[in-house]
Amino acid sequence: MTDAFSLYAARPSGLHRLNPLTTLALVGFCLVAGLALPGPWGPYAVFLLVLLLAAWGQVLPDLLRDALKIALPFAVSVFLIQGLFWTGGTPVVGLGPLSLKREGLLFAAQSTGHILAVVGSFLLLSLTTRPDALMRTLDQRGLPKALTYVVLATIQIAPRFQAKANTILDAQRSRGLETEGGVRQRVRALLPLVVPLILGSLIDIEERAMSLEARGFSRTGEKTSLLVLPDSAAQRIARWLLLVGMVAVVAAALTLGSR
Amino acid sequence: MFKRNFTTLTLALIPVAIAINIAIGQLIVLLKLPIYLDSIGTVLVGLLAGPLAGLVAGGLTNLIWGLSGLNPTYTPFFYVAAVIGLLAGVFGALRWAKKIWLWLIGGLLTGVVAAILSAPTSAIVFGGVTGAGTDLLVAALRASGAGIMQATFGQGIVSDPIDKLVSFLIVWLIVLALPVRLKARFPQADKLPGETTVADSWDA
Repeated sequence: MTDAFSLYAARPSGLHRLNPLTTLALVGFCLVAGLALPGPWGPYAVFLLVLLLAAWGQVLPDLLRDALKIALPFAVSVFLIQGLFWTGGTPVVGLGPLSLKREGLLFAAQSTGHILAVVGSFLLLSLTTRPDALMRTLDQRGLPKALTYVVLATIQIAPRFQAKANTILDAQRSRGLETEGGVRQRVRALLPLVVPLILGSLIDIEERAMSLEARGFSRTGEKTSLLVLPDSAAQRIARWLLLVGMVAVVAAALTLGSR
Repeated sequence: MFKRNFTTLTLALIPVAIAINIAIGQLIVLLKLPIYLDSIGTVLVGLLAGPLAGLVAGGLTNLIWGLSGLNPTYTPFFYVAAVIGLLAGVFGALRWAKKIWLWLIGGLLTGVVAAILSAPTSAIVFGGVTGAGTDLLVAALRASGAGIMQATFGQGIVSDPIDKLVSFLIVWLIVLALPVRLKARFPQADKLPGETTVADSWDA
């Protein structure tokens, strides 16, 4: 399976050079605007903005491919379900005894826009921001160090766990465990796969805790980091503007909605 | 707040639990089972280390899994996962895990709460669908006149309690099989199923 538990793509772009906090503010703005902007087409405008940002970050093909791949099953489902089964809508296309309703299709278009805007924003963050740099800025801003440890440790061990799960799957299969066939057979395969994975890893925890203690993990006081992150006055101003922008978009959506 | 509430052992447990959530979640996809089982690690943390630790493990699972870019649709549901961990911790603290049937009722309750909490996000962000087989249920409910929110909730109330029931059962079996020496070191040690105190051989 995957060897790295992150989509981060290193590119020599301006977006990559931003302080992670600024990227986070950008993504936050896209998320808020994507969900708050009214009408079926508002979210698409935000998705377009995400695509422009992705182009600046030189990750446009990656982002577009992943966003479409993720959104497609949702889009198919939402168009069929809300299009066909909208209660009391105006039929536009008849399909035998069923018909696609105008209101349902508009709702489906809006939902697909929401999905694209939300998934696109998250992918933008994943593709252009190193997880360790993001966590480092956050803990400089007062996020507990323990939380930073939890997040970074997870990113490191998750791929190893997936590999371990595959090893257990192979081992049990070679002992004759049926992992294909009827639902009952596959359900029965569950425990022999899940239990060894969990028990094995829980036994390691004590050792991890001891290594942490041996490295002064629970010591209080200032700690020095090897990772230095660039920041500038312009970026600080940009972050405030984005924050104001989020509030403005929500306020605008609320006043438009109440009319 | 973080350091004061969590022991180093709990902090070492949480990343492992999140990795368990992710690895089993993907194993289930591989086995093509109609269930998620992506909160086994979260429930385990709640039971072993308490409500707050469960909350952190659950919330971080969805944030990390989502923001890694591998599963971005999970991120908006991080608060649901957090509450699942919180509830597992509360039921653990109430000593419900001492009796298997009480613990399983806890699992069902958690599933109902998860269905209620996830419906609004599912309806607003994802148009009420999941892009998977359970959408047939949403279709059926919409066809019989249910609103988007009701149909989404209907889908959740059928699949979530079963999923959490199975997760709670697996966690119970695993904790029962853990070495007593390890169990005894977790914050909620005295509330776990099975033997939880180490017999001190020196006293004999």
